[in-house]
Amino acid sequence: MSAAPILKIAGLQAKVADEVELGILKGVDLEIKPGEIHAIMGPNGSGKSTLAKVLAGHPGYEPTDGSVTFAGEDLLEMEPDERSLAGIFLAFQYPVDIPGVSIANFLRTAVQARQPEGEDLDIFEFSDHLTERMEMLEMDVSFAERHVNDGFSGGEKKRNEILQMAMLKPRLAVMDETDSGLDIDALQIVAKGVNKLTEEDPEMSILLITHYQRLLNFIKPDFVHVMVNGRIARSGGPEVAIALEEEGYKTYEGQEAPSTNGSAPAA
Amino acid sequence: MPQNETIQDLDLDEYKYGFVTEGKPVFRAEKGLSEEVVRQISAHKEEPEWMLDFRLKALKVYESKPMPTWGGDLSDLEKVLSEIYFYVRPQDRMQHSWDDVPEEIKDTFEKLGIPEAERKILAGVGAQYESEMVYHSLREEWSNQGVIFDSIEDGLKNHPELFREHFGTVIPTHDNKFAAMNSAVWSGGSFVYIPKGVSLNTPLQAYFRVNQERMGQFERTLIIVDEGAHAHYIEGCTAPVYSTESFHSGVIEIIVKKNARFRYTTIQNWSNNMYNLVTQRATVAEGGHMEWLDGNLGSKLTMKYPSCYLMGEGAHGEILSIAYSGDGQHQDTGGKVVHVAPYTTSSIVSKSISKGHGRSTYRGLCKVYEGAHHARSNVECDALLINDTSRTDTYPYIEIEENDANVGHEASVSKIGEEQLFYLTSRGIPEEEAMAMIVRGFIEPIAKELPLEYAVELNRLIELEMEGSVG
Amino acid sequence: MAQATLAPEGVTQALSAEAVERISADEPTWLQERRRHAWSVYETTPMPTTKLEEWRYTDLKKKLDLAPLRLSEGTAAPDDPAQWPERLREAMDEDREASGHIVVIDGHVVHADISADLAKQGVVLGSLQDAVEQHAALVEEHLATEAVPAEEGKFAALNAALWTDGVLLYVPKGVQLEAPVRITRWLTESGAAYLSRVLIVAEQHSQVSYVDEVLSDDFESQTFTSTAVEVIAKDGAQVQYVAVQRLGKGAFYQSVQRTLAGRDATLDTLNVALGASVTRVDLNARLLGPGANSDMLGLYFGDGSQHFDFNTSQDHIKPNTASDLLYKGALDGSSRAVFRGIIRVYPGAQKTDAYQTNRNLLLSPHARADSLPNLEIEADDVKCSHGATVGELDSEAKFYLMSRGLNRTQAERLVVMGFLGEVLAKLPLGGVVEKVSRVIEQKLAQHEG
Repeated sequence: MSAAPILKIAGLQAKVADEVELGILKGVDLEIKPGEIHAIMGPNGSGKSTLAKVLAGHPGYEPTDGSVTFAGEDLLEMEPDERSLAGIFLAFQYPVDIPGVSIANFLRTAVQARQPEGEDLDIFEFSDHLTERMEMLEMDVSFAERHVNDGFSGGEKKRNEILQMAMLKPRLAVMDETDSGLDIDALQIVAKGVNKLTEEDPEMSILLITHYQRLLNFIKPDFVHVMVNGRIARSGGPEVAIALEEEGYKTYEGQEAPSTNGSAPAA
Repeated sequence: MPQNETIQDLDLDEYKYGFVTEGKPVFRAEKGLSEEVVRQISAHKEEPEWMLDFRLKALKVYESKPMPTWGGDLSDLEKVLSEIYFYVRPQDRMQHSWDDVPEEIKDTFEKLGIPEAERKILAGVGAQYESEMVYHSLREEWSNQGVIFDSIEDGLKNHPELFREHFGTVIPTHDNKFAAMNSAVWSGGSFVYIPKGVSLNTPLQAYFRVNQERMGQFERTLIIVDEGAHAHYIEGCTAPVYSTESFHSGVIEIIVKKNARFRYTTIQNWSNNMYNLVTQRATVAEGGHMEWLDGNLGSKLTMKYPSCYLMGEGAHGEILSIAYSGDGQHQDTGGKVVHVAPYTTSSIVSKSISKGHGRSTYRGLCKVYEGAHHARSNVECDALLINDTSRTDTYPYIEIEENDANVGHEASVSKIGEEQLFYLTSRGIPEEEAMAMIVRGFIEPIAKELPLEYAVELNRLIELEMEGSVG
Repeated sequence: MAQATLAPEGVTQALSAEAVERISADEPTWLQERRRHAWSVYETTPMPTTKLEEWRYTDLKKKLDLAPLRLSEGTAAPDDPAQWPERLREAMDEDREASGHIVVIDGHVVHADISADLAKQGVVLGSLQDAVEQHAALVEEHLATEAVPAEEGKFAALNAALWTDGVLLYVPKGVQLEAPVRITRWLTESGAAYLSRVLIVAEQHSQVSYVDEVLSDDFESQTFTSTAVEVIAKDGAQVQYVAVQRLGKGAFYQSVQRTLAGRDATLDTLNVALGASVTRVDLNARLLGPGANSDMLGLYFGDGSQHFDFNTSQDHIKPNTASDLLYKGALDGSSRAVFRGIIRVYPGAQKTDAYQTNRNLLLSPHARADSLPNLEIEADDVKCSHGATVGELDSEAKFYLMSRGLNRTQAERLVVMGFLGEVLAKLPLGGVVEKVSRVIEQKLAQHEG
């Protein structure tokens, strides 16, 4: 593929913001081009969820070395809301509840933030659009009046994430363990929604982060990466995931990250 | 509500209601409180002898009671009280049509949006300016059904028996120092009677405005909700910002009779130089239902604990309290529920937000007397702190003399969660807006109970207050 | 109290400046001066009244008459278990393993032992009176200075002026006691005033549990027992302080306790109050170093006309400190309990975790509970919450148990034990759980009768 990558991660290292050392990401390299679907798989604690959070600018993590370029701009310099407006979307593994704030109000504010300066959102258009998106995701319209994630079941929370993705039309969606906590029916609805969105916008890229191969039966990745101990240990096509499903992560156990670990000076 | 103002017109940290109206009152008593002032007030109102006696006795009680040492800082209050005017009569007589209200006073209420709201959504309106009600009006359909909504003075004149039977029965003079003060110098306020079985489907509203500098306002309201009647009463308050302190001390007495339902909503938005020390109490008879919705946004110091005395079987009392304290403000608020009869139920929900050097205090009482079996009460207090200089306190009193009762109290303190902020900003919402959203969500359970235009106003206020709170 | 009108409040024939001089006649100068200072504080401090928030529900005018009290004058009993009262021996027999013992009879430490191994490591457990001589520097530094000085209040001043004996426990740096040290006290003299002190100093990274049990039969006339407890846990130390009060009717039990927890120290307390006519405990936990942690547990069971008043405070002075308070009680007869607690988070004490829970079970229509859980928060990045409940026996739970074949009495007993057991389960010290459970079972048996 000849197009320029939308996301370029080079030598990215990161740690928990409050801790002195203990890097979690130990030199990640990854390129995603427009329209590509990538999956990152890995055992618990490998750093794959950290990568997702660092891309979205979570304040709990601090990049210490390397770079992330998104659509030609230095992503690491941007605030979380600026990243969102630039086109990054993180579907949270554990969406937070925000009592008292309705989904409709929340989404209206988020969509408004995308309007050109001084231009007000057409409320009726927004409302119609929201209804249409909710129908696509087989959600009841009354859902919009509920408070964000407050008292939601696991499935409802994940569907709410996809609804937001559908409304905010990102250029790159990072989906952090979206399959966890979903039964097979809910998983199919979520996957169908995602596939519809990629059909609508073939330029949208997706980074799927998952522990299991199951999700990849429904959302077909172009590339699969295996993350171990803060680095990408193997990259390839869908066959990598199938191999993993059979062999498990055992083959990667005990595999140390290359010598950057420990020798890299703290940035 | 003024429609012509936009956020740009406002100096952001400025108080929107701070304008001053020029105009000369027809009478003003000497500064400070004395027997002379009390006699003048009574004479101006052409009161019966018993009321003058009542006032003079109350003055003695006031003088005999020490200044409270709990609650907010009242150390400067003696001085403030010696400097304020206890009685200012803005016009000669009260009007029932806005056209008859003096131009400058009418202007004030136009700016506050009162006549407009009256046309749109209210069953009746009372407007107090300085010490007197300047306007009172009730829609005909309600007066035809026997509803009384009048100034407290006219209540005393026109319904002497009903008035005397109930006045001072819910909050006796000696209840506390400021109730005694009010009993001595009360002026203005409403007299409301809702006859048996009458249901008002839109609210009554009273609006209180203090215009003059160094002014003390002491309205007195008496509300009788007869058996099976339903009504909602809203009170709003504002004042200009002066460098000197002003003082407001109201007494609100409510009698909710058998199976009646009543809601009293206060949106207090006094300027930040106001001491606001108010006593509000309702007695609730068998099967009756009383709700206080108490919003405290303004004032320098507010001490106010709306109360429900549940006197009859199955009576229910509810207090929803919301407080906002910014720099230089202390909201010392909460509520009291007293269970006297069996099968009575109550709930208090309090939410406070403290920002900058603001301080919010919840102070409450839940008391169950022996014999009030099957009483149930639940209290929830949540405090949100915006800055590391903000302060919150919680002082609940739980006194239970009956074993067949269930009473619970829960309180929590939190700040705006980092995860919540990240979630919202990761959707492209700027941080300040995200904070305002979380704060609005925090108070939503109470704000949704407010009449729409107040809810809008509250939201707008939060938005303004959250600006500049980041970083 | 006719003669008391001119004399300072609380000064009586027995509680007097002369008594201070008599008690301290043979003591070192520093202690004499400390006592005299405390006495002057006592004389100038008014007797607390119900106008004070902290004494709102305990009216000393009605509950305590100091005038007829005399200072205990009995001579020390022999250090011979065979000559000790039977109930005292029973209470000790019920205890399990111990690192050391102290026996106090009528205000005199009559026995003290500590395992030879611990003594060799420098652990000190003994009479406070003796320690004034033998560990003078330590006692002078800590006694009634930083933890419970005379200025703390009327009773703290009285205690600091007139205490006659008490316990010193000192644990050197890094020394860890596997079994608790056990103090057992027995009081016999009706109409006496007993004033004693406890001083516990746990040096860095040491570890110790201290269990103090006080017992008596019923008294014919009011008997006053005052204890001032000072617990100091230095950086990283782990200390448990347990007080079990099983006094008879007629006793007025008053205890003022303060715990000082240094950096990363854990300082937990348990107050069990089962006996006495009046119980008043003032407990202040001060979290003085970052990472300090205090669990504060309380358990009470009242019947007859017993009156309990617990006044607690949790002072979070430094960041990253945690405290968790749980006081639970069951009240039968016309007994009454007051719980007043406050969490204070000082400015700058960010990342504080503080919890406070008080739960009361009213077993009789004439029992009464007052609960005042307070918060004062002056830092924003904190997790603080409190809760209080007052209620009757859970009838659903009772019904459930009865539907499985238990009779009403058994079902009620189980529900109450389950309710109170939550507290004991949090500090499962050998001997304490069983003993306290047994005493509550006995009290419950009277409930049915």
